[in-house]
Amino acid sequence: MLLAWLMCYVGFTALCLSTDRHHGELLHSKPSPRRRLGLRVAGGWLLTLSIWPAVAATGWAQGLVEWCAVLMFSALLLVLLLPYRPRLALSLAGVGLLASPVAAFATL
Amino acid sequence: MAWLHTWAGLIFGWLLFAIFLTGTLSYFKDEISHWTQPEVQVHPLDDGRSLAVAQAYLQQQAPNAARWFITLPDSRDPGLSVMWQDTVDPGKRGNFIEKVLDPVSGQAVQARESKGGEFFYRFHFQLQMPHPWGRWLSTLAAMVMLVALITGIITHKKIFKDIFTFRPRKGQRSWLDGHNAVGVLVLPFHLMITYSSLVIFMSMVMPAPIVASYGNDSRAFFNDVFPATDNAPALGQPGTLLPLLPMYEQARAQWAGGHVGRLAVNNPSDVNASVNVFRAGADRVAHDFGSTVSFNGSTGELLRVSAEQSLPAAIGGSFYGLHMGHFAGPVLRWLYFVCGLAGTAMIGTGLVIWLGKRQLKHAKTGGMPFELRLVEVLNIASMSGLLLAIAAFFWANRLLPVSVAERSDWEVQVFFIVWGLSLLHAVLRRGRQAWVEQLSVGALLFSAIPLLNALTTSHHLGVSLATGDWAMAGFDLTCLGSGVFLAWAAWKMHRRTAPQPKAERARPLNLKSEAH
Repeated sequence: MLLAWLMCYVGFTALCLSTDRHHGELLHSKPSPRRRLGLRVAGGWLLTLSIWPAVAATGWAQGLVEWCAVLMFSALLLVLLLPYRPRLALSLAGVGLLASPVAAFATL
Repeated sequence: MAWLHTWAGLIFGWLLFAIFLTGTLSYFKDEISHWTQPEVQVHPLDDGRSLAVAQAYLQQQAPNAARWFITLPDSRDPGLSVMWQDTVDPGKRGNFIEKVLDPVSGQAVQARESKGGEFFYRFHFQLQMPHPWGRWLSTLAAMVMLVALITGIITHKKIFKDIFTFRPRKGQRSWLDGHNAVGVLVLPFHLMITYSSLVIFMSMVMPAPIVASYGNDSRAFFNDVFPATDNAPALGQPGTLLPLLPMYEQARAQWAGGHVGRLAVNNPSDVNASVNVFRAGADRVAHDFGSTVSFNGSTGELLRVSAEQSLPAAIGGSFYGLHMGHFAGPVLRWLYFVCGLAGTAMIGTGLVIWLGKRQLKHAKTGGMPFELRLVEVLNIASMSGLLLAIAAFFWANRLLPVSVAERSDWEVQVFFIVWGLSLLHAVLRRGRQAWVEQLSVGALLFSAIPLLNALTTSHHLGVSLATGDWAMAGFDLTCLGSGVFLAWAAWKMHRRTAPQPKAERARPLNLKSEAH
């Protein structure tokens, strides 16, 4: 469940950064169209792919439920962190990005 | 659509807030029950020992009962529960005697009488009303909730554009942002929980298909859906019941290692005794009511293994299973809890927005028309008042003497008395002050619960953490956390009561079409 959670969180952060407003708030610049597209595609893929570790760990029935729960929770966490601790929100995504290969290696 | 969202949300919001909050607590029903009955000791699980203990106890206490039920302890509920029925009256439920045993000593535990988590669970769909009415009202509320969700989605047009937007410290704007954020981000849960609650009560809400196929004989429908494990009648000749453990093991083998939740023994002293072994609901997501393996009690012969679920039953069972979350392990259970709180927060913020928007018009004059004042009082009593009532229930559990007659009913009485008092308090005090005072008292009551537990029992945090009794420790810590949160909320409210610069308060709010 940890890997799915990390992927969801990083995915949502990427999607969030692909909007002008949040990119401006977090990185103080406007994203270039290429970067915007890249972030959007990466975010979408991460969210989609995160189904796989969830299902691989506990099977389809429980895995999909866990994936939904993790999806909702990671988005909620990101949105609550953004206004209060924007740097923490970003660094958490960075940590997630670094930790997910480790988590993938450990669980799969 | 916006008007429908506004008014459906307002009229049923107070009730839905209570249903959602108590329903959310029900995800920790067993843990709450464990806290409210600390006399039930936690032991490492050993089903073989538990079964032997239960069988010995029942053989001694109720050898001639018509039926025995044995519910095995699990990781969430440490008590070994045995129940028996002396005679079976067809068409009548009841005359059950239930005892909780210690799974090691085999003695009945002298636990304080308390409904515990069961109270919140029952309340969230029966609303403490006489039989069909509470269920009807809560089902009606669920339908209104579904309407409010769908109209909410339609009203909130910029779902994807604003999905990550939450701007705190901006008055009404923040409330609306928060309402949208918890609504949209946790939408899959909201839709699932609302729709599945309707599925659970579908035979009550939409009986037409049943009436069309079965006529007035609705009993026949239920017999088909839940095949009443049709057991051999007693022959009237005494027999000896075999040990239950081999049957338990055979049943588990049938389920490829699945867990046993409950055993029922019919006519235990008869030569025609039968044993039904029921699978634990925690095993799978899709709930299967009839997953049983049946044995002849005096020969040990395997009589029947229930068939796989039909597709409609599997779909219905999936909705039931998803709603209840019996299958959820600790992490997923907490996520369920967080989702439930998000739903509660969505309803609460919606109620606050409704009032806040209309109060703005009267901010200059200072007065408030009767209907707005009514909404304000109901908002306060239904939200902070309910929190007070929940805290009072736990306080009553620890402070009411064990010997009081009808003790568990008194706990419930205390819950409603405190809730009523909070309504009275909201009527007597001005809006902000009422909020601040009730939230402060709530903060005090909740954060003192670990202390109360330490003073009245020997299961304080030092002990429960050291022995790994996570349900007990988790309950104390969650109460402490809730207390801190309520204190923060009270402090926030209090700061806003302090006079603000006029300019800020009167600044035109750019809410227009989104907030109706």
